[in-house]
Amino acid sequence: MFRIDRRHFIHFDWVFLLLLLLVCGMGLFNLYSASYPPKAWGTPTYLKQSYFFLMGFAAILFVLSFDYRELHIWNYPFYICIVLLLAAAFFLGEAAGGAQRWIDLGFIRLQPSEPAKLMLVISLASYYSRKEVLDGYSLKQLLPPIVLTAVPFLLILMQPDLGTALMLGIIFVSMTVFVKLRISTYLILGGSALFSVIFAWNKLLKPYQKQRVQTFLNPENDPMGQGYQILQSKIAVGSGGKFGKGYLEGTQGHLHFLPERHTDFAFSVWCEEWGFFGSLFFLGIYFFVLLLGLRAALYARDRFGMLLAYGIVMLIFWQAVINLLMILGFLPVVGIPLPLVSYGGSSLLTTLLALGILMNVRMRRFQPGRGEREEG
Amino acid sequence: MKKKRLLFPEIDEIHEHDDSALDVLRPRLLLASAIIMFFAALIFSRLWFLQISNSEEYLDKAYNNRVRVGSLAPPRGHILDRNGIPLVTNRPSFNVLLVRENTRNDEELLKRLADVLDLEVSQLWERIRDASNIPLHIPIRLEEDIDWQTLAYLENHNHDFSGIRIEVTPRRVYHFGNLAAHVIGYLGAISKEELASHGEGDYAGGDQIGKMGLEKLRESDLRGEKGTSFSEVNARGFEQQLLKRVDPLPGSEIQLTLDVKLQRLAEEMLNAEDKAGAVVAMEVNTGRVLSFVSTPPIRLEEFIGGISQKNWNAYLNNIKKPLINKTVQGLYPPGSTYKMITALAGLDTGVVNPDTVFYCPGYYSFGNRIYRCWKHVGHGAVNLRRAIAESCDVYFYQVGHQAGVDALAKYAKMFGLGQKTGLEIENEKAGLIPTKKWKRERYNSKWYEGETLSVAIGQGYNLVTPLQITMMTAMIANGGKKYQPQLVERVLSPDGSVIEQLEPRLVEEVKEVQPYLPLIRQGMYDVVQGKKGTARIARIEGLEIAGKTGTAQVVKIAQYKGLKDDEIPYKFRDHAWFTCYAPADEPEIAVTVLVEHGLHGSSGASPIAKAVLETYFADRLAAQAAEDAEQQ
Repeated sequence: MFRIDRRHFIHFDWVFLLLLLLVCGMGLFNLYSASYPPKAWGTPTYLKQSYFFLMGFAAILFVLSFDYRELHIWNYPFYICIVLLLAAAFFLGEAAGGAQRWIDLGFIRLQPSEPAKLMLVISLASYYSRKEVLDGYSLKQLLPPIVLTAVPFLLILMQPDLGTALMLGIIFVSMTVFVKLRISTYLILGGSALFSVIFAWNKLLKPYQKQRVQTFLNPENDPMGQGYQILQSKIAVGSGGKFGKGYLEGTQGHLHFLPERHTDFAFSVWCEEWGFFGSLFFLGIYFFVLLLGLRAALYARDRFGMLLAYGIVMLIFWQAVINLLMILGFLPVVGIPLPLVSYGGSSLLTTLLALGILMNVRMRRFQPGRGEREEG
Repeated sequence: MKKKRLLFPEIDEIHEHDDSALDVLRPRLLLASAIIMFFAALIFSRLWFLQISNSEEYLDKAYNNRVRVGSLAPPRGHILDRNGIPLVTNRPSFNVLLVRENTRNDEELLKRLADVLDLEVSQLWERIRDASNIPLHIPIRLEEDIDWQTLAYLENHNHDFSGIRIEVTPRRVYHFGNLAAHVIGYLGAISKEELASHGEGDYAGGDQIGKMGLEKLRESDLRGEKGTSFSEVNARGFEQQLLKRVDPLPGSEIQLTLDVKLQRLAEEMLNAEDKAGAVVAMEVNTGRVLSFVSTPPIRLEEFIGGISQKNWNAYLNNIKKPLINKTVQGLYPPGSTYKMITALAGLDTGVVNPDTVFYCPGYYSFGNRIYRCWKHVGHGAVNLRRAIAESCDVYFYQVGHQAGVDALAKYAKMFGLGQKTGLEIENEKAGLIPTKKWKRERYNSKWYEGETLSVAIGQGYNLVTPLQITMMTAMIANGGKKYQPQLVERVLSPDGSVIEQLEPRLVEEVKEVQPYLPLIRQGMYDVVQGKKGTARIARIEGLEIAGKTGTAQVVKIAQYKGLKDDEIPYKFRDHAWFTCYAPADEPEIAVTVLVEHGLHGSSGASPIAKAVLETYFADRLAAQAAEDAEQQ
């Protein structure tokens, strides 16, 4: 199975891998501070996260060992598995007397909604690449991807996890807008999206979810609740100044003013301790890695590869943007982690798996028998 | 050449588009990178705004970020008896905290503190080391619940103890010691599992939570709501002063159906003789439990703040099993108290009528065995009423034999034996009422007729709890109405208004045997009031009582035959039962006493029931006595 093709080795994007390792290293380094001091019992948070990093890189090696086009087939069992897991988490949770987002697998509390995001990228990429319509997709042709999205979307919405469900919607929109649509399709989809937002606000959203949005729009109303969290995050970031307070010296995080400092607000700790230039450095590399990902899409050997690479970049990009805008006070608290930085095994494994597929597309960018076409 | 795929062979071909198809999408990727760069620029400018332009302001805010939100433990709801007498309340407990910032010469301070607290310095160091994972600004609890003298000393010499603070938390007080300990239960630190199952919103690590009894079952009522403290902290996180507090909401009060007087009396009587046993007193027309005693008691004080291993082992190794709540977890053969069931089975199935007479020569031979009556010289000719009054075994051997074991089981179950009563208490046991089917399933063997004879006098496989026997007696007394037994009468808010009132609930009424109950009651009347009754010892001047004694055999060992009572090893002595109700004509209360290894129902158990009744009817008996005195 593990036949090494020398060309793959040469074409492998080593710069990408090095930068990725740098980002992961900084993320882990930051997590140590964000969860400091370690808990009295159990494995420390940073140690657990490093186990997940090791597992994630093993997963990358595995993903690189086969041609990404195999995913056309693996996509099906993968999709079914995730949907079953989502349903299981939902019903097990119901039985246990409350909503539940995870399934206990012993070594990890798997949140199936995390791999669901990647699964959606692969499914949509597979569909849009097999069904190519040059003059734009009609509504009827969009029906399968809509259904593919709606099933996990609704299951996650019922958990209820509004943030992650919205992420699926964003992935769908990003990928669907990317392939060409007919003008009429745009209009109908746009109209029904508007309608469902209004409907959701009035009928579906739970009070606490509505409160989050309202708090964001009107933070004075709730100084100790949601608004308090965002304010504390802004104070953490702002008080970092040019060069930060120094590693492990942040007061906002360590004195427990910052909520969920090792998950959603982990990057606030970095901003506080490393300041503007530290944040610039980190995010510069982070966004550069994403742009490198888009380059992989640009030079992909086929439509599937291009859609995969593009979708994966968008998947990570939108999560990062939403998380960053949240901790900087531009968005309400939605519970979206910063990939590779926030603590969470499911999210980390999914992100690394996705990046493995991205590297795979990049590595196999030359079709056999075709003329070499190198960029730059 | 490439291999052809088995599945989806078209996949390889589908994508052999020429570059022009991909070229259509490429400009869109450039647009995507533009979007990424746009958001990157937006985020960078926001970072600039927060960290460069306004960093002074936020640094200031971080420095003055001085309000920390903490939680205040709510006082737990009180537990009252039926008359509102408090059984369990709270008192302030004073704990000694060490604030690590303020302590410079640790060693000296700890030496002084150890002297005052009567501890070793090394113990204090150990507690400080245990807390090394806790952030520096959170104080460490060095000692809990110090006494008044220590508190006064520390307060008066506070300049010697800089860095030491006193924290006040509510702690349980048991006004009657271990009274009703099995009903009340105890508290303990919340475990990880409990934290997970309750949701983290309401509880935090280190909180107290009910671990047993009503403290556990009524946790949500008793608990109250946490308050919030807003305290000022300095830049390093150490608390400077309390700015504002939102007081916690005290928990609701639980008013029990128990009567302190009856409860205490029964406990003291059983404890005085150091006996293991149970006393249940219940209102026959409501199902409200007035006294619910299991001895030996558990000592609640030992459980506060976690019981020590030594004490716990002492409980486990105690031969009298204090941790078992004998009222609902103790399983005993009902002995002769079961004879009322056998009698009802005989009457309702038509095996006997009120006038049927059997002759008792002191034994009954069945198969090739002799089944003895407890009275070896025999009762002579007995009818049903006399058979109950004098507890003639031979009479019931014959009734049981003719009715059959399954008929006996039907009536036993009708009166609640062998079933959980559903009382609000943990780990109630069902007990066992044998049937042929049960034996086949359990032992895969057939039922022997001889076993029916043992069952008919309440021995054999029969196992019941004292609460079940009380319910049976109450049903006989009230004409066949099965009331749900209850321990909680109402839940009150701290201001005294009623939140929940638990009304008596009639579970069912057994109509078919109602015509026979008066005869059974006459038999039970004769047991106490009759000339030859087995429990004449329980008679009370001015009050008519009906009841039944019982002796539950523990083992049948010939070597103890003929020995004097106190020569038999404790664990082989028979259990003593007495169950009764009063007044005999208009029953109000049913009382059951079980004394483990108490030998005889009449001498071992009935005096306690008598005392309970005397206390319950004390006012009426006194009034009556006064009236009599006047007439003379």
